[in-house]
Amino acid sequence: MLERDQWRMVAALVTVAVVATALLAVADRMTRAPIAQAQRKALHQALAQVLPPHANDPQRDMVTMTRAGKPMRLYPARADDGRLLALAWEEVAPDGYSGPIRVLMAVDPTGVVQAVRVTEHRETPGLGDGIVRNRAWIDAFAGKTLDNARWAVKKDGGDFDQFTGATITPRAVVKAIHEGLMFFAKHRAQILRKLQTVKGLEDE
Amino acid sequence: MSKRTILWDGLWHNNTIFVQLLGMCPLLGVTTTALNGFWMGVATMAVLLGSNLVVSLVRGFIPADVRIPAYITIIAAFVTIVDMLMNAWLHEMYRLLGLFIPLIVVNCAIMGRAEAFASKHGPLDACLDAVAVGGGFTFALMLLGGVRELLGQGALFGVPVLGSDYPDVLMFILPPGAFISLGFILAAINVLKRRREARVSTAQAGCSA
Repeated sequence: MLERDQWRMVAALVTVAVVATALLAVADRMTRAPIAQAQRKALHQALAQVLPPHANDPQRDMVTMTRAGKPMRLYPARADDGRLLALAWEEVAPDGYSGPIRVLMAVDPTGVVQAVRVTEHRETPGLGDGIVRNRAWIDAFAGKTLDNARWAVKKDGGDFDQFTGATITPRAVVKAIHEGLMFFAKHRAQILRKLQTVKGLEDE
Repeated sequence: MSKRTILWDGLWHNNTIFVQLLGMCPLLGVTTTALNGFWMGVATMAVLLGSNLVVSLVRGFIPADVRIPAYITIIAAFVTIVDMLMNAWLHEMYRLLGLFIPLIVVNCAIMGRAEAFASKHGPLDACLDAVAVGGGFTFALMLLGGVRELLGQGALFGVPVLGSDYPDVLMFILPPGAFISLGFILAAINVLKRRREARVSTAQAGCSA
């Protein structure tokens, strides 16, 4: 049987744990909706930067596909007559210098890159973070297709600059966008059909 | 202990970074810019305020043998709450500081204040201590962040001040720059302190003469 002061320890720890859990539950409930909204807003801003001017809400019209067993979200940009102008999705470069780099890329229905933006990274400030700070570098992806560019950094015989002191980061981003384009080219018919059907349902 | 002593101890005489050299992990990780340093300091201060207050309130109730796990639970709860609040209302800064917010839980300065101060003082003094120590911590992080941002990128709070063609000085941007800058700041502080001590002792000598 426990001694009297051992019971006191148990009571103290249980009380602390219960109160802490209750506080966390309250905080979670309070912040869940604002966090979702903040993430939505961040995505909205990123989408506005990669997609051409459009009349719809790409997040509302989002369709999902399965890619290598994982869900993939496609955000369509449409003109006011419902015509598909471009679509955006997120690519993850797993081989960044420090952890994965997330990029949002947009292509038009024929597979021409519209724009690319990095949405999340932990690359070295001053070196690898050129992918965010150097606008000219990231803007160089616009207008590129699978066929009109050599998809590698210059050091590897490609068309894209690396940065002084940082090759790994740009290499990872170029590779991710290249893979995104190859996926789009391979499944283009299916993706476009999917975006078409959804639009058709909305019309009814 | 007078309120004034508590305040100045936390802010300056016993400054977590400059005197105790605690909390070096966030110091190295986030002080690439003055703004990062500021928000990291504020987040730490918020956790400290919560944990000091609660530890002080329950100080008669927690048996000494289990006080450490109890304090850790309290601190971890507040870190998680601050993490959620920042994610919700300071989303952009949250993405920048990312990994380092949860790591506040292992900042030994917070545990140190719970153990050395809050568990022995009333709630009011404990809160004052949290504000003072947190303020001193924020000041230190911001100063170091400012020095590194200025020397590394020629900017302060994101505004270029040394001309737009200032080259990036990698040494100050990368982690070694944090150590080197901190070393020079500590040296400067020691010089200041020694000068003041010298002045005080001459003044005292003058008085006794």
